Parts: sequence; structure tokens; C-alpha cells
Amino acid sequence: MAIERFLQPRASSWMANDGENVDIAMSTRIRLARNLSDFQFPYSFSEDEALKVDKEVSSALLDKGHELNHSFTHINIQETPKLQREVLVEKHLISPYLAKGTHSGSVLLSENEELSVMVNEEDHLRIQSLQSGFHLQEAYQVANQLDSLLEKNLSYAFHEKFGYLTSCPTNTGTGMRASVMLHLPALTMSHQIARIIPAISRLGMVVRGIYGEGSEALGNVYQISNQMTLGKSEYDILQDLQNMTEQIIQQERLAREAILNNSPIVLEDRIYRSLGTLTHSRLLTTEEAATCLSDVRLGIDLKMIAHMDMSILNELMIFMQPAFLQQYAGKPLQPKERDFARAKLFRERLNKENATNEGEEFA
Amino acid sequence: MICDQCGERPASVIVKQKVQGQMTERHLCHVCAAENHNLNFVFEQDPLAIHQLLSNWFPKQQTSMSPVKKEVAVCPSCGFTFTKFLELGKFGCATCYDAFDSQLENIFKRLHNGNFEHAGKIPASYGSTLKIRKEIEELRKQMQVSIEDENFEEAAKFRDEIKELNLQLEGGASDGN
Repeated sequence: MAIERFLQPRASSWMANDGENVDIAMSTRIRLARNLSDFQFPYSFSEDEALKVDKEVSSALLDKGHELNHSFTHINIQETPKLQREVLVEKHLISPYLAKGTHSGSVLLSENEELSVMVNEEDHLRIQSLQSGFHLQEAYQVANQLDSLLEKNLSYAFHEKFGYLTSCPTNTGTGMRASVMLHLPALTMSHQIARIIPAISRLGMVVRGIYGEGSEALGNVYQISNQMTLGKSEYDILQDLQNMTEQIIQQERLAREAILNNSPIVLEDRIYRSLGTLTHSRLLTTEEAATCLSDVRLGIDLKMIAHMDMSILNELMIFMQPAFLQQYAGKPLQPKERDFARAKLFRERLNKENATNEGEEFA
Repeated sequence: MICDQCGERPASVIVKQKVQGQMTERHLCHVCAAENHNLNFVFEQDPLAIHQLLSNWFPKQQTSMSPVKKEVAVCPSCGFTFTKFLELGKFGCATCYDAFDSQLENIFKRLHNGNFEHAGKIPASYGSTLKIRKEIEELRKQMQVSIEDENFEEAAKFRDEIKELNLQLEGGASDGN
């Protein structure tokens, strides 16, 4: 089945870990919300209309997608088993809202998983572009090309004064949400993050935990994104976000230096304890794994830990999640069993990379 | 009651947790409750959801209409009322934007730091149509001036240009270019 390739514990290219500032800015995402003019929005349309929208958008992209040098796979959400939907959510390829499958909907995924279109999420279309590292302009270019291609073949709901019309008034205008995922352990440890968050929100931007609204920052990973979509062009929004992110990166670097200067042994101890936990424990909760991953990540950035590839940590962040572990094990796992499977996954993956293979492949 | 965890401070929070089907109840002080990382706060909905913000910003004005003045804005296309839009925090369709137009400026201003007009990308098809419509408007004005000046030859030229642009507009709308 076509979906299988996306369910493999294989890293998407946006987890690759390259580019400038990638030690702090892990990945970039652009999302564009669009609606078709001839159908009611997903909050009020009928199942019949939902099917028609899905068909119209999917065939437009499947017919024309090659013009972008991508081939797209169409995955019908309601026909996809629940666990597989959750895997797609954990890989950030679809939203939890789409995964609910309230009405007919689908996702169209490019083969490298960097580009996708969700159909019948909160809006008829949600175009998403994901990139490794800090690449706002590049990620927007890709999303924008796809958007321009689709608008030639579909009739978008657009308004002279309000711009692109969306279900939620917080997206009206550009329909664009740009975000950068940031690893901020030093700002968190020094409690400065609590001062930064309110300052950012005053400038029309917002910071939250990585799993979207209302979630806490698991493993010191935060997402900063634009809040405003009216009154500013895409270019200006991206520029403001770029400047803000650069300043936060700068602050994180200063905080790291300060901690390193003031208490190097305490920091080193913490990092190595976490490395020990990840490579030797037999039970690992999601929370503990996330915390330790954050420490080890910092250890690599600060050159305390050598010979460990950061991209493996990025993969593990995704693969340690409940649906992935179960998909991988090929059976449902109780929480305790998952903790055991998670610990096994970490031991095998990390010890193998350390060239001392002590176990079998996780399966 | 004393906190179950530290045994020192008075308990102020009751924590109910379901662990493997077993419901446990613990009485904690505010310090231990905040430190307890196993707490699993499950919110039924986001405490700061958009519809709650909207309802707070635009209280009651639409929900309790006086019987005399029964002019609740209703979208002719999807049937959403302005009240429903506020409750849900979502539009039902593109026509809602026109149906609730008079109220939207205020709402957008609050949501987008005082902004209410789009300043970004315009779809290519819409962009050229918009351009042609503006051109036609301009030519009409010029034609009017020519007529007033009794320069009918020039007026006829403008008329033909307008005709040409109108044809483009119709053609463009049908093939989407």
C-alpha cells in the first residue's frame, strides 16, 4: 500500500540536521490555509461536498504536481487505520485535527515528506512545507510555488479587502503560519524563557511547546511563529520572524556560555548522566527520554560529546513516540511495555552508533 | 489535611489520576502539586480558544437581541448567524465575510494588532482581473471627460478599449487566466 513508505522508521529529510544555526533552530515550517470559492467551509459543508472538495484538490495536485518535480501520494484519512494516522501525526505530516477524520479528507505527501497538502482540515487546503534547520525563505518559496500551481487549477476564496478567506479569523489574509522549532535548553535552565515569551507575544508572534497549542515544551523544544496574518505581506512577516528568531538564538548562545563558564562540572555531569540514561536504562518514559535527549543534544553542541550524529537524535525524537513504537513492534503496547520498548530502541540506536553493538535491531 | 507528598504543608489540591484503570486520589500542597511531573492535566478544550476570546470581546450585543430590533446578521449561503460565528469562532463559508462585513473590521483589528486589510499575495487570476477592472474604471472616467468636451472621436476610442477589456475580463474568468 502506498502509505507504507511514510510509516517506516526512516528519517524524513526535514530531520536531516543541516544548515546554519541548526544546533538551535532545528526545523522550519510554513503553512498556507486556502479554501475553494464554490464550497462551504469544513465547519458547515456536507459529506457530499467534502468528497467533492477532496476529489477536486487531489486530482489537481496529482495531475500537475510533476511541474514542481515532486510526485505526490494520496492518502485517504478515513480509510487509514487509527494507529497509522497517529504515526503520521507524530511525524508532523498531518495535524491531530485531520487525524480525527471527522469528515472525508486526505493528505497528499511528496516523496521526500517536505511538502504536503492536507485536504478538509479546518480549511479545504492546508499546504505545508517542512525543512531541516532555519530556512524561512526557502520553505516559503516551495509552499508558494505549490500554491501558485494550485490556484491556476482551482478557484480560491479570495477577497479584495480581507485576502485569502479562511475558516478561522486568526488566519484570514495571507493564511500563512510560519514557524521555527527551537531547542532552548540554556534559556529554560536559567528561567529566562519565562521573560522572553511575553515579550515576543507583544510583537505579533507567539512561542509554544512543539506539539502545538496548549502543550508544554517537551525536551526544551519550542516553536515560534507569526500570529498576525492581516496587514503585513508574507515577505514582511517572514522578515520579522527571521529577526526575532536570530535574536533568540543569540540569547540562547549567551545563556549557554554563561552556564558553561559558571558551572561547567554541574553541566557536564548532567549531560553525561543523561547520556548514561539513554544508553543504559531499561525503562524510559517519553518525558525522561525527551529531557535526556535535550541534554545530550546540548552536549554535542558544546563538544562535550563527540562521535555522535545529531541527526540520530532528531530521528529518535520522532520514533520514541507511542504510535511509532507500536507500529514498529507490530502490536499494541501498554504504557509500561512502551517504556521498555523505548529504552531498547535508544540503547540499540545509540550504542550502535558508538560502534559497540550490544543488541539486535529493534523490532 | 496535610500534603500526602511532603507531609509538611497543608494540602490545597486534590489530584485524581487514573493509572492503569485504577483511580487514585491524592491531596497535595501547592508546591508539591506544581513539582509533580506526573500530573496529567487534560483540558477538554484550550482555555484560551478563539471563540472564548471573541465572546468575551463582543459580549451579548448580538446574543440578546431586543424583540423590537431583530436584525441578526445571517449568511445567506451557509445560514451561519453572527452569534454562531462568535460562539464557534469560525466562519461557515466565504459569503460569511460579506454577510458580517460591518462587524469584521473590529474583530480583525483585535486579532491582528490593529490591522484589518490584506497586504500580501494576490492570486494571479484575481490579480489580473483586478488590474483590468481598475483600468476600465480609469478609461470610463476619461471617456466621460471626452464626451463633456464633445470630443466624440476620442470617446469612441475609449469605448472600444473598454469593450476590449470587458471581453478579456469575461474570457479570463472562464478559463481562469
